Amino acid sequence: MSGPERGATGLLSGESAAGAEARPPAAERGRGRAGATALARRRARAGALFIAPNLAAVAVFLLFPLGFSLYLSFHSWDLFSAPRFVGMDNYRRLFTADPLFYIALRNTAVFTVLTLVPTVVISLAIAALLNRKLAGIAVFRTIAFLPLVASTVAMAVVFRFIFASDDGLLNRMLGWIGLGPVPWLTDPDWALVSLSLVTVWKSVPFATVILLAAMQGVPENLYEAAQIDGAGAFRRFRSITVPLIRGALSFVFVITIINSVQAFDQAYALTGSNGGPETGTYVLGIMLFQNAFRFYEVGYASALAWVIFAILLVLTLIQLRLSRRAEADL
Amino acid sequence: MSGCGGGDDDAVTFFFQARPEEARSRLKIIDEFRRRRPDITIRTIMSGPDPLQQMLTYCAGGKCPDVLMSWELLYAGLAERGVLVDLQGLLDRDPRYAAELHADGYAPLRDTFLWRGGQYALPEQWSGVFLYYNRKLFAEAGIQPPVRWSEAWGYAEFLAAATALTRRDSGGRTQQWGFVDAWVPYFSAACFGMNNGAEWFSPPVQPVRTNIGDPRFAEGLQFYADLAVRHGVAPSVGDRQSVSAQDLFRSGKAAMLMGGHWLYSEFTGHDGLDFDVTVLPVGPHGGPGAMTDVGSTGLAIAAASPRREQAWEFVKFATGPEGQALIAASGLFVPVLKSAMHTTGFADAHRGIRNLEVFTEGPANSRQMAVTPQWGKVEALLERGCNRVLRGAATADSLGGRTATDIDAVLRAAT
Repeated sequence: MSGPERGATGLLSGESAAGAEARPPAAERGRGRAGATALARRRARAGALFIAPNLAAVAVFLLFPLGFSLYLSFHSWDLFSAPRFVGMDNYRRLFTADPLFYIALRNTAVFTVLTLVPTVVISLAIAALLNRKLAGIAVFRTIAFLPLVASTVAMAVVFRFIFASDDGLLNRMLGWIGLGPVPWLTDPDWALVSLSLVTVWKSVPFATVILLAAMQGVPENLYEAAQIDGAGAFRRFRSITVPLIRGALSFVFVITIINSVQAFDQAYALTGSNGGPETGTYVLGIMLFQNAFRFYEVGYASALAWVIFAILLVLTLIQLRLSRRAEADL
Repeated sequence: MSGCGGGDDDAVTFFFQARPEEARSRLKIIDEFRRRRPDITIRTIMSGPDPLQQMLTYCAGGKCPDVLMSWELLYAGLAERGVLVDLQGLLDRDPRYAAELHADGYAPLRDTFLWRGGQYALPEQWSGVFLYYNRKLFAEAGIQPPVRWSEAWGYAEFLAAATALTRRDSGGRTQQWGFVDAWVPYFSAACFGMNNGAEWFSPPVQPVRTNIGDPRFAEGLQFYADLAVRHGVAPSVGDRQSVSAQDLFRSGKAAMLMGGHWLYSEFTGHDGLDFDVTVLPVGPHGGPGAMTDVGSTGLAIAAASPRREQAWEFVKFATGPEGQALIAASGLFVPVLKSAMHTTGFADAHRGIRNLEVFTEGPANSRQMAVTPQWGKVEALLERGCNRVLRGAATADSLGGRTATDIDAVLRAAT
């Protein structure tokens, strides 16, 4: 935790906060001690009252569901009968008796890579283009950010038509350049590629917003100095822009990985609730939904949710460590 | 129409799923019930796209609707969890009504809702599948289809008809399909398997094993898949992504369509579409007559209902002779009682249909597909296995391996 954050946390404990702020002069200490303590208590009470609604909301809508899902992950529960304690059985079944878990894990890993790399590369390129001072750039920025506001389900439905094997727009376009039709959504391998394409389309605008904001914070004089030294546009981008937006890039990496591992809505709308065709798009999000809301094995689904959480935690920690090391190398 | 369950008023809540035309017909029945029983108020709750999920959410949350529409494939999950009341107790209290219902009803439909010895729903409509056909296209090709379940086509005759009715342009693009399917492809494929002499699950209610590996079943399923994959007389899996079977049939670009009575209202009243209905074909190991799936929906009462008596009065009305006569005359459902099936109201509501026996004999020629509380898991496995076959990446024989083993394991765990 950094310094200011530690200070902010300290302010929450009423006694020390009030004491630090309202310390009376030495001569008045004896006389005013009782009054000051009462004031400190009142302030602490007022502070507690102010944050109580937020704390209650966090407790009810965040901590309780978290704790309850952890509790359920050690139980078997079908929504109607009382939860039955099964210990580590749900986790054991997940790792040793459910081949679909490894299929979902592999699909999610492939999907994450297929989504992450293009998202970062494309959003970097688009942010670099939108960072230029050109006439009408505001219009292009608006267009580039449009997918951000589109409903995931609505856009997945539109993409179903685009990906249609026979009369789909994409296959027609491939036909114009002499390429044969691709079974975008009917072949299991291609279906995962299609899902990644849609996800990249949806993810790029958000990543672009973050990267563009970071790029606009890079001091102009660095570019001018590099230009005087004879550095070309690509060299300036590689040696100035990318190192100086490393923090934002790292954030984009983490967020894209988290979104990919948790992907559900686009897969559900594009290829159905069973992660088809066959197990082509059977990702962890679909597996979670299927077990919880189609098979009503809530305990098993909770165990899977905690495993997904653990995977994301590890990936995020690795990413943070790597980015800190890279910052230290600068 | 109300959109939420529960409430503190004294109305009997009735949960159902329906397209707009069906909903209007249901409201007619409810209005008639209100007229006859002004002391009982009915409040309707329309289902979203996943009725089972919605019912379980309502009931687990303590807001279970009093009367629930029940699907052949889905109700067992609710019965097993104690959500539904065993109607046998209520029938026993009313022996005259029970006897009347028994004599007038169809055993395959009634037995579908028998779970672990209890009657958890009473059939309300028959929704088995059959073939719609375009009369004009058939006449042009000189094809005479069968008119009753006992005189079905063989697979070879059906394929010959579908081939004769498929037309392609000079570039090889299909202008007119011989056969299109408006149902769930692997359910339809299973009907072809069942019509080749093997049931899908044994026994169909509370099954202990699947027969998808049975060579007769696999042959029927493969015949269905080959209509698209080998013979090109039906749209392939890829084609089906961009064309709607209903649209193809409605516009005269498909000569035969497989579906249920729920599509009837979509095809009537379209100028230029002169259609009739015929039965499914029978494979070399099946017969002598053709069969279809039960596909029935029934009405059940929630075990937690505080208005059980009023709910029972409504269920009795809707599934009994009076309600069924109204259903028959509405033309939107096929009734489940013989008395209603043979009323002039039913015939009048289907004036364009000459082969009315396809409907009236339908329930008696129906077979259950599978009734198991684990249907969700079984269906996921079936979809996964059948997709490979239906897109031509594997043969139907392959289903007898891993897919059958996995399904059997799920079924064993449920018994």
